Amino acid sequence: MLAYSLKKLLQLVVTTIGVVTLVFFAMRLIPGDAAAAMAGDTLSGAALERLREQMGLNEPLFVQFWNFLRNLLIFDLGRTMTTNLPVSDLIKSAAPITLSIALATIVLAIAIAIPLGTMAAYMAHKGHKTLDNLITGLAMIIALMPSFWTALVFLLIFSLTLGWFPASGAISWDDPYSVMMRLALPILVLSMSQVAILSRMTRTAVLDVLSEDYVRTARAMGWSELRVLFRHALKNAALPIVTVVGLSFGNLLNGTVIVEAIFTIPGIGTVLINGINSRDYQLVQVLMIFYALLFVFINFATDILYRALDPRVKF
Amino acid sequence: MIHQGNIPVPLLDVRNLRTEFETDSGTVRAVDDASFAIMPGERIAVVGESGSGKSAMAMSILRLLVYPGRVVGGDVLLDGTNLAQLGEKQLNALRGRTVGTVFQDPMSSLDPVMRVSKQMVAPIMRNLGMSYKDAYAEAVDWLRKVGIPDPERRITAFPFEMSGGMRQRVMIAMALSCRPKLLIADEPTTALDVTIQAQIVEIMKTLTTQANTAMLFITHDLGLVARLADKVAVMYAGRIVEFGTVAKIFGAPCHPYTQSLLRTIPSPTALHPARLPQIPGLPPDMKQGIQGCAFRERCAAATEQCGRDTPKLTDRGVNHLAACWQPEGLAGIAQEAAPRPELRRNDSPFRDRVIVEINNLNKHFISSAFLSRAKRTVVRAVNGVNLRVRQGETLGVVGESGCGKSTLARLLLGLEHPTSGEIFTEGLTQMVFQDPASSFNPKMRIRSIIEEPLIVKRKGDWASRQARVEKLIDLVGLKLNHLDRFPSQLSGGQLQRVAVARALALEPSVVVADEPTSALDVSVRAQIINLLADLKQELGVAFIFISHDLLTVRYISDRIAVMYLGEVVEYGPADLVFNSPAHPYTRALIDAVPIPDPVKEARRSSAVLQGELPSPLDEIHGCAFATRCPQANQRCRDEKPKLRQHQKSREAACHYAK
Repeated sequence: MLAYSLKKLLQLVVTTIGVVTLVFFAMRLIPGDAAAAMAGDTLSGAALERLREQMGLNEPLFVQFWNFLRNLLIFDLGRTMTTNLPVSDLIKSAAPITLSIALATIVLAIAIAIPLGTMAAYMAHKGHKTLDNLITGLAMIIALMPSFWTALVFLLIFSLTLGWFPASGAISWDDPYSVMMRLALPILVLSMSQVAILSRMTRTAVLDVLSEDYVRTARAMGWSELRVLFRHALKNAALPIVTVVGLSFGNLLNGTVIVEAIFTIPGIGTVLINGINSRDYQLVQVLMIFYALLFVFINFATDILYRALDPRVKF
Repeated sequence: MIHQGNIPVPLLDVRNLRTEFETDSGTVRAVDDASFAIMPGERIAVVGESGSGKSAMAMSILRLLVYPGRVVGGDVLLDGTNLAQLGEKQLNALRGRTVGTVFQDPMSSLDPVMRVSKQMVAPIMRNLGMSYKDAYAEAVDWLRKVGIPDPERRITAFPFEMSGGMRQRVMIAMALSCRPKLLIADEPTTALDVTIQAQIVEIMKTLTTQANTAMLFITHDLGLVARLADKVAVMYAGRIVEFGTVAKIFGAPCHPYTQSLLRTIPSPTALHPARLPQIPGLPPDMKQGIQGCAFRERCAAATEQCGRDTPKLTDRGVNHLAACWQPEGLAGIAQEAAPRPELRRNDSPFRDRVIVEINNLNKHFISSAFLSRAKRTVVRAVNGVNLRVRQGETLGVVGESGCGKSTLARLLLGLEHPTSGEIFTEGLTQMVFQDPASSFNPKMRIRSIIEEPLIVKRKGDWASRQARVEKLIDLVGLKLNHLDRFPSQLSGGQLQRVAVARALALEPSVVVADEPTSALDVSVRAQIINLLADLKQELGVAFIFISHDLLTVRYISDRIAVMYLGEVVEYGPADLVFNSPAHPYTRALIDAVPIPDPVKEARRSSAVLQGELPSPLDEIHGCAFATRCPQANQRCRDEKPKLRQHQKSREAACHYAK
């Protein structure tokens, strides 16, 4: 287990370096250069040259790369172009919000989807098709609803009409209750599609496992259905489920961008959209790395969890 | 034995058990009106082909059937309690406690993500009321009893860290550790090699005798029945058609099905076996309701009455019942009913030309994982093999799993490249695989399947290809209307005929058949073996027949090569190798095969080959078999014996071969 974790950690480091390098050079592929792209039509001549100087674009490429790496390591991410705030400060205030939404969504989705999917699988296994069809059918319908649409509908019903949840307002961590109320709808919207995917996946995985020989063995040993279901079936079905949770995290990050915009939440997604709109090259570059690293880390966590669940996993 | 007055009370009394499976195309009555009893300590075998309902019956006893199967009638009395009236909770109290169960496939019957200790200790704690510590010690003790070396260490292993034989030992230990009165074993050794099977059977026999545990074991292997059972129930199409003591069933079978079944098994002793008797036709389609006797269409003694009324089990003497309208079944008429053309060997007109020559063939697999602590390892899958196959000859290759026989087949077909050495073949080499159902594309019709090699090799135009396909399907004994069906619409035996037709499409000189009959039922197996023998005779095709089934290999082969850990340890004419094996491993293999004759089985020594195949990763200096050989001495461990000429026509790799 330790050797495996170390190996995966090493992979994590290698991937991280790869991601950072890729982002750095991808940004240099912009036609003209970054300064010109940032400035658009607003600057010319000497002003543009000054911006280039400021951004260090006149240095040789490898020096730029070196500075870029060094700055990342000491968390000096530069300043935004429009507001001239340190990018690091921006991330420090926005990241916890987005991460809270993502984490809460995953937890909520798992808490609903796994029992639901297991129940559907068990019903199908026992030949009670009606309940199984009901659950899987409902999951299908929910999965078909795009989250930008559900977000608008929920906003309309629960915030604007019923007034149960605030539709706007600042997020202050000193008041946890208000944060909860503020983030409740986005989390709900995002978790709906996650529940749909995850419950269907759980159903398939558990149904497969229930017809395995070792489940029959457990029954023949006289274990109760509940124990068979949780100790044997679900534990074995957990492997594909973990994979799907890990993968759908990327999907979820996409979702946060849209949902944050609709519910006007100052998370990473909002920062990203603002950055793109104002052609803030420095900011977008940092956010790209932020998303990529988050994803790499989730993959790392999935791998470790996978191994912990299944001792057969070697690579 | 439990007595009530003077009449012994059966431990398990099954009465009129009926089980059905609900399918889209109708209700299948998997078990129909089954009645039998097991006395305490008695061993009863249930034999029958796949689909005969033997597993469904065993699972119905404890109501372990899952949807869409369910018990629809009958009583099951266990120790006087009627299980049919118990709820799930009360049944759970009996499962594992009073009745232990061992299943067929040890690779999948244990929970893969749970340590053996956990799987074993929890039932012991629950059923015997022991503390964790005592239960753990008990579990270790049971692992020792079933012959697992170093049980204190092995108990903490995960199932995937053990071999198939070891896992089946764990299953048996698990089932017996709660001291059940009855052990249900569903094909417990089918997935295992013959030497491991012999070990497992010996362990089950010893342990159940010691504890006076009754046993209900399901098998298709009549040899195993002769070795292990007191009584036998023969099932056909969901019904018990004959029930009696082993001596009666093997000595004087009454039901035509039992009689034919016993005749289809290749004899281990006959010197020049005749053409293998076969049961014509296929088992009935259980989805259609069966009127009358289910066997009548395959039965030479069937009368009008057989088509009208279903025969019930009636007394045929002490401890002997059969369900047949004929008083003595086929016994009187069998010989005349099936005139058998003699299959003569060694007189094929082709014979002398060597068409496959293998010289010093090696295939080594090298594994070295990146960033792994494990050393670079070499597996010698095929190690210095020399073989020759002549035109129209069948070479049988036998050995336990992992001996390299399948790698040899892949090398012959060019699917693997040899590490060193040479293979010369004259003409084409084609292949017949083990599992016909999974070696065809399910979306292709039989016609396209057989035609495919012709298209790939651009042979002929459309019309000539069709003519060839139709000739081939006739050659393998199928009808033209089979050509337009899909693989799922054919039975296993029919599919294997299609596989043979496909292999012959390009007129190969050699056909490599890797376990072509092991997925088939006994009655169908004989049909395929006869087909291969006929084709050899007619077309002069050479066959390389790879199998672990020694009786079949001996029957079909002219020569046999015995492989052990990638090496040929004995090579020679089939009868010679079988009747007077020169290598101790060949002898051990032959001794391990259960003979379908209870009298001979009783006389055989119960000495079985100990241990398992050593890891192919180990570096071996002397004789590879030395670790398991009863005669091995220091010379064997130091000096590697070469394959050398022995007597006239046989080679063996042993220092002490006589």
